[in-house]
Amino acid sequence: MPGETPPTPAPSVGIEVSGLRRAFGAVKALDGVDLVARAGAVTALVGPNGSGKTTLLLVLAGLLVPDAGHVRVAGHDPVTQSAAARARTGWMPDAFGTWDSLTAREVLTTFAAAYRVDRAVAGARVDELLATVHLDEYADQPAAVLSRGQKQRLGLARALVHDPQVLLLDEPASGLDPRSRVDLRLLLRRLADEGRTVLVSSHVLSELDEMADDAVFLSRGRTVVGRPGGDAATGLRTWHVRALDLGALTTWLESADVPWRPDERALGAAPGGTVTGGVLVDVAGETAAAALLRDAVTAGVPVVSSAPAGSALEQAYLALEEERR
Amino acid sequence: MTVQTPAPAAATPPAAPPAVGTWTLTWHGVRTVAALELRQRVRSSRWKVALLVWFAVVAAITLLAGGVLLFVDEGSRDTQSRGVVLGAVVTVLVLGLGLLVTPTLTSTAVNGDRGAGTLATLQVTLLSPVEIALGKLLAAWASACAFLVVSLPFYVIALLMGGVPVWTLPRVLLLTALLLAAVCGIGLGWSARAARPAGSTVLTFVTVAALTVFSPVFFGLTFPFLSSTQEVQVYGVPDEYWASLDDEDLASSTPPAPTCEVFTAQRTVAHTEGTWWLLAINPFVIVADGALPGTSVGSGSVVDEVRSSTQGVRDLRLGEPDVRDECGDWGGDGAPLPRDHAGPVWPYGLAANLLLGGLGFVTAVRRLRIPQRTLPRGTRVA
Repeated sequence: MPGETPPTPAPSVGIEVSGLRRAFGAVKALDGVDLVARAGAVTALVGPNGSGKTTLLLVLAGLLVPDAGHVRVAGHDPVTQSAAARARTGWMPDAFGTWDSLTAREVLTTFAAAYRVDRAVAGARVDELLATVHLDEYADQPAAVLSRGQKQRLGLARALVHDPQVLLLDEPASGLDPRSRVDLRLLLRRLADEGRTVLVSSHVLSELDEMADDAVFLSRGRTVVGRPGGDAATGLRTWHVRALDLGALTTWLESADVPWRPDERALGAAPGGTVTGGVLVDVAGETAAAALLRDAVTAGVPVVSSAPAGSALEQAYLALEEERR
Repeated sequence: MTVQTPAPAAATPPAAPPAVGTWTLTWHGVRTVAALELRQRVRSSRWKVALLVWFAVVAAITLLAGGVLLFVDEGSRDTQSRGVVLGAVVTVLVLGLGLLVTPTLTSTAVNGDRGAGTLATLQVTLLSPVEIALGKLLAAWASACAFLVVSLPFYVIALLMGGVPVWTLPRVLLLTALLLAAVCGIGLGWSARAARPAGSTVLTFVTVAALTVFSPVFFGLTFPFLSSTQEVQVYGVPDEYWASLDDEDLASSTPPAPTCEVFTAQRTVAHTEGTWWLLAINPFVIVADGALPGTSVGSGSVVDEVRSSTQGVRDLRLGEPDVRDECGDWGGDGAPLPRDHAGPVWPYGLAANLLLGGLGFVTAVRRLRIPQRTLPRGTRVA
């Protein structure tokens, strides 16, 4: 957009949570969550099913009272300053219904009114949002005819209708086609660049990996690790190295004193009787990965490819997966 | 491909967002919710079908029942009496069907929306709980009143046939509408209280049945236990009169006219002072008593019969009078005793119904507050 400069990020952080606890009867849905989601950044919320992601978002959206802990959303406590926090928060639940008889435009207009958006600007705002989520041609169709992905996009537009500072999105990518996922990624990226706080939970880790600046991992209601921003260059990551001759590769790795793990999925036979295949190597950053590849090629190992094995988020997620419940 | 920008990032929200508390009430908020509910309901074709079916059912039953009653009751062959019979049939029918249909309009308003996943998204907006509840109540009440409006032609026909005082129509309509509003409130309360729509619907119907069916049944069942034989003051024809009659008097068609006196005698007395309200809270009694105020004048018309039966309910409130008037029963000659007029019972009944509706409404408002501390068993917030 020409002539548009991102507003300076708010001095306060978008979301601050510390020591958050919430139990449903005997089930401790949240058992000590600490997280900070910066304004102007997309923060990914990752965790297995039942790890407390939705409960955390419900507390942040101001729907649930936490049992203990400190919560600030856009500088306001969702419990004691509920209306002020809600006015600045856009929440998109994972499972939501639509008013089947209402058109997409009416749904958005109704929510603009519910958020007390000035009528004079609400109409234009609704049109813009419909265009943003590519629903303009369905604007006057009843929501009942929308597909699941289209309803999902309508839900996203609804969460944005009052121009919130903080966006809480629960599984926003589920049901979206690949193109809509790209759109969503670009949209969230831009919303963050405008200075908003975006907290996204999703299982599509490769998508999250591309758009998230930070990540928060939840497991059994606790935050496990936070990925510091920009660690792709230095963080320890698993790479998958594949060679035409697996034997030559492993021999070289052992001689170079590089620890490796076999990767059974990559085994295969090549003409001439040698076994092709790959191994998994933990490498600290991309510079080290480049050095490893150069040394291997120099040593005459027939390397075919060398690439990160899955995304960083995926690797961290899989480490949590045994705790799935 | 480009992704278009929503409104230029005015990431600064209104400087001071409106203070929204549980009981913050604005017409803007109520209208937003009511419009949402009505649009959702009115657009569905089921709604139009329901109104059509209603019209057909009321038309058929009114005309058939009116015809049957006229056939059975020889005395009501003139147009005026027909008008009264038709008016009574329409009133009872519309109220009865209304009590049957209205519970469904609100009995799933809260838990149904929660199940459909549309409630929480509304709760997180700047609408207050009382605005959401009142919007839902108004929308449901407007729908109930639509049924009333569809029935209007039959009321008017009855009125045009004569016999019914003109001011009865607005009274009947107003009382019926208020009673249906109370039912809407009761349904709303149960829908907020019960976790499942099926449960709240059953509870709402049971509550309405308690008001309409169970309460007269309980009144009837408790009546024998409240009755005892007592010495009471009676104003009537004394036993000496009967003793003084000889065979000649009995044989003649004109025995000497008895004179009424006050004397003491054994009579069965029912202490209904504690149970009269079981009849008074009945919506049918409320409409009958409220629509035709005044006391029976003994003219024998249908209007008068309705009056004398509601008069019976009024008298039940006071229980046994100081002096029981039996003079008229025997055609006794004597000035009628001044009755201790009990006054109408419909204000009590209507107040009780509206109180129940208000209780349901307050329950709904309290249950719509966020953030929630406790969740109904087996439900999710969203």
